[in-house]
Amino acid sequence: MRACLKAETCDLLDNFNYNFMKFSYNWLKELTDTKLSPEKLREIITLHAFEVEGLEAIGNDFPGVVVGKILEIAKHPNADKLQLTIVDIGKEKMHIVCGAKNISVGDMVPVATVGTRLPNGLEIKEAEIRGEKSFGMLCAKDELGLGTDHAGIFILDSQTKIGMPFGEYLDNRDSVLDIDILPNRAHDALSYVGMAREIIALEKYLVDRKREVFDYDYEGLKLDKKKSKKVKVEIEAGDLCSRYIAVFMENINVQESPMWIQNRLQVSGIRPVNNIVDATNYVMLELGQPLHAFDAREIDGGKIVVRRAKKGEKIAILDGSTKTLTEENLVIADEKKAVAIAGVMGGEHSGINADTTNIVLESANFNATSIRRTRTSLTMKTDASDRFEKEIDPNLAEKAMVRLVEIIEHIAGGEMEGAADVYPKAIKPWKIKLDVEYVNRLLGEEIPFKNITHILELLGMRISGKIPSITIEVPTFRIDLKTQEDLIEEIGRVFGYENIEPQPMAGNLIAPRINHERFFERKIKETLNGLGLDEVYNYSFYGEKDKSACKLEKIKHLELENPMNPDQQFMRVSLVPGILKNVRDNLKNYKNFSIFEVGRIYLPVGKALPEERKKITMAVILEQDKDGGTFFAAKGILDSLCSKIGITRIEFSEIDSSSDKMAFGLWHPTRRANVKAAGKNINIGYIGEINPFVLSQFKIAKRVVVAEIDLEQLAQSVEENKEFVSLRKYPTVMRDISMLVDKKIKAGEIREEIRRAGGEMVIDVELFDAFSKENKNSLAYHIEMGAADRTLESSEIDEMVRKILGDLEKKFAIVTRR
Amino acid sequence: MLAKKILGIRNEALEKIRNSQGDLFELEKKYLGRKSEFVGILKTLKDLSPEEKKKIGELANKAKREIMEALEKKKKEIEMFSFDFESERIDVTMPGKKREYGHMHILSAVQKDIEDIFTSLGFEIADGPEIEIEHYNFDALNIPKDHPGRDMQDTFWLKKENGKAASDKKDGRSERTLLRTQTSPVQVRYMEKNTPPLKIIVPGRTFRNEATDASHEHTFNQFEALVVGTDVSVGNFKYIAQKFFSEFFGQKLSVRLRPGYFPFVEPGFEFDISCTVCSGEGCSSCKHTGWLEVGGCGMVNQNVFVSAGYPKNAYQGFAWGFGLERLAMMKYKISDARLFESGDLRFIRQF
Repeated sequence: MRACLKAETCDLLDNFNYNFMKFSYNWLKELTDTKLSPEKLREIITLHAFEVEGLEAIGNDFPGVVVGKILEIAKHPNADKLQLTIVDIGKEKMHIVCGAKNISVGDMVPVATVGTRLPNGLEIKEAEIRGEKSFGMLCAKDELGLGTDHAGIFILDSQTKIGMPFGEYLDNRDSVLDIDILPNRAHDALSYVGMAREIIALEKYLVDRKREVFDYDYEGLKLDKKKSKKVKVEIEAGDLCSRYIAVFMENINVQESPMWIQNRLQVSGIRPVNNIVDATNYVMLELGQPLHAFDAREIDGGKIVVRRAKKGEKIAILDGSTKTLTEENLVIADEKKAVAIAGVMGGEHSGINADTTNIVLESANFNATSIRRTRTSLTMKTDASDRFEKEIDPNLAEKAMVRLVEIIEHIAGGEMEGAADVYPKAIKPWKIKLDVEYVNRLLGEEIPFKNITHILELLGMRISGKIPSITIEVPTFRIDLKTQEDLIEEIGRVFGYENIEPQPMAGNLIAPRINHERFFERKIKETLNGLGLDEVYNYSFYGEKDKSACKLEKIKHLELENPMNPDQQFMRVSLVPGILKNVRDNLKNYKNFSIFEVGRIYLPVGKALPEERKKITMAVILEQDKDGGTFFAAKGILDSLCSKIGITRIEFSEIDSSSDKMAFGLWHPTRRANVKAAGKNINIGYIGEINPFVLSQFKIAKRVVVAEIDLEQLAQSVEENKEFVSLRKYPTVMRDISMLVDKKIKAGEIREEIRRAGGEMVIDVELFDAFSKENKNSLAYHIEMGAADRTLESSEIDEMVRKILGDLEKKFAIVTRR
Repeated sequence: MLAKKILGIRNEALEKIRNSQGDLFELEKKYLGRKSEFVGILKTLKDLSPEEKKKIGELANKAKREIMEALEKKKKEIEMFSFDFESERIDVTMPGKKREYGHMHILSAVQKDIEDIFTSLGFEIADGPEIEIEHYNFDALNIPKDHPGRDMQDTFWLKKENGKAASDKKDGRSERTLLRTQTSPVQVRYMEKNTPPLKIIVPGRTFRNEATDASHEHTFNQFEALVVGTDVSVGNFKYIAQKFFSEFFGQKLSVRLRPGYFPFVEPGFEFDISCTVCSGEGCSSCKHTGWLEVGGCGMVNQNVFVSAGYPKNAYQGFAWGFGLERLAMMKYKISDARLFESGDLRFIRQF
């Protein structure tokens, strides 16, 4: 079971190993004498015990079908394959033509009268079959919708009353409750008796306090300890098996089970096999104890040995497969060989056959962890392993054996020869001290003391001691109850969580600490949204293919031991591969877009846990790119982002790797820059075009500019406390200069030099025109000048422009353009 | 006499101005011009007694001011009426020029909403690592090895850095590394460093090793709430849950607790909210039950407190977890969980 994200399609939010069991309402009613309807039962079980996932009405009244007795059988004069019958259905005797050969005079059979519509859709009419009139039909099971058996007419119990409505005979009208048993209750509630206990307690507490408690004589199930002379038990692996009871039964008669057993098994989803196997399954459903029956002929030496498997030991099991075992696995063996994988599945050879007359019955208790490991390693799951792996009460083994013997004697005849019960350390009820005030303090409700004790008693507990501290004796069938809190849960759920009033918390007024990182991250997301970037989410891992396509092989990656598939094998050290995939996919629908992701990367640092760093990675794609236009669009976004979050100046310095032809990397070698927050001198990340050869591997034909910024470093670069700067009192003046410079000189250098040469008088420098001409660049700047204390004279300004140009000429050999 | 005359001129002037259609210049000349009767009267003022002069002077000034104001007002009026607004008519139904803005991922937006609500309820937002050690993800949360709760959590395990399976133990803690299957490990990490009373929420990315389909993702986001004090109760949990969900869905909702089982809580609950579509009447969204199952929760198991270094039975509290995707899917009726991590702008730009 899995974590389900979508409420509409899946109810189970989380996945702690639930077990579903289908419960027959009729059977529960027999055990509880409940007065509640199936719908009402569903409601109170859901609210107070387990979620009832489904409720379904099943069965059929079979209107028009009655029990009839065959009075005469004669050959059909015109058809060899047909017979003429006379059938007594009580109020009349009818002529019916029949094709099946399995009938004989005196048989009781289901008769569909004229006008009946059968579950398979067939409508019965008066008919003339090869010249003989027929006034109804004798039915096979499949025609009644009772399985697929078409072997012959369904022969009913000979004691049945003639004319009885068949629906009444079959009595298969029922409601099925599909209940989701919590894993910590599988040991008791994955059974009818366990569920009945719940219903009795809930009905008495919630619906009718005067109700008699219906008594299933659970405590009275005591095994006749007459020692068997034909089977012995030896537990070799005492740590994995706390109890083993074997019973030897003789002279049983293997046949089909009576209808009522078959019906009950089918309702709960178990396929009937034969009366012995069915009896083991029936008792498992009734009491929750998995049971097994061996053909006594296959138990060599009349001895059951519970031992670890030998390494490589093979066993053919009932599902037809052969398993190879290890010393981890527990087996049931005789003197020579393994006859069953303990608690999981029986061996093929020791199974019950039609000619089996003597059997060995097993009712045992195996270590839960061992069963779990075994069934996991063998990739199997059975009704037995489901129960054993959740741990069950060893005292239950005896009760189940009593019922098993009782039922087998009833439906298969035979008698018990004797038993062998190995139970070295008997489990006794235990005690828990309960502080009654704590009950109400934890639940937040004032539940009267008498109600608390009433609930606990209804659940089978014994109470001693005085308020506020009482002692609770827990019956061994409630393995899950070990602490006070476990008992409080029992009290709370039966009392009803819906009866607990919501209560505001008694306030302490301590203000919560503010998660600055989270708010900073939000501000970044909001700013980037404002600048037109859409936010994406990507997986935290990628595969070998992406890793090599993005030239990330040289960086050490953490690797998953059990990835879903090879594309999700490595923990990401960069958000770029994910972003590039987004670019590729979105280019199908958009020409112009910018996206970003804020997410963690995972860097191995030689400790148990890697370093997790948050990165902001953005990608910009323009429909048209000229002269690095996309680069500058992305750079502009970074500028705006930084200015918004309080980083006044960022510097971009070229990282030129074009000379190293071998270092073919993720980035375009001549269009890439390091990004630094100048104020605090912190490197915050990179910006650059993605290498076109990398892009071609992603099948992206556009230029893509990516910036990857470290969130923490960005946060550290924020300059605290902006300070107010007085507004200028005197006007400023704008002058333009224009020049030709060698291509090697960077615009940034020119700008810095203008600022340096101009000193305080230069307020702002803005490049407003740039183009290339042969081996020169033509650059033109607006220079804003002013002074804090006066209006500048035009002579001062002219002189400053001359100085700036002079300094530029000296330093960069520029040629002034006029 | 003089006063009457002035008033007469004033009234006549105001009347004329009011009815004028454009000859304002003429009117101004006529009533206030150098050769006008009015100015003529003013010239005679000097012959009056001081008292009379003062009285009539005030009256005359007032009349003059009124006439001038009326002229000014009329001038603007005529200007306005003569302006050809019709020639400037635009089609207001033509499309506006859009300012491009980006879209926050719906999960970020939902997370933000949730954080805001909890912050207003006095909760602190806490974080923890996405790659965890076995100790915090399982053992410290009362899910020991071989606990049935474990294999169902379908964990992604990490290889050790040298490429081998990791299985180290340090100080009795298993340091085997994994991708956290839940945000709950942060509970213990936080409690190790803080003492109650405490109220935190932990939103974050979690992982389960399972195949994806419309309802399942191996990568998803959980949200954890933890409140610990000396008398924190189930009743308090119900209050907070009801408050939160009513705020989040913007409608009054009820919360229903049912018995549930999670090893790190006792008692444990599954909790439902009244259906946000039909308000509990029963509809297809809630499969006609009136309730939607949203999360698991419970009172913190004392063993978890002990793992975090608190004494046993000194504190009590509740813990609560649910999936961000599940809430987003409910609130926005999103049908496929795989869209969240798709990066598809056709999806992202809807929110």
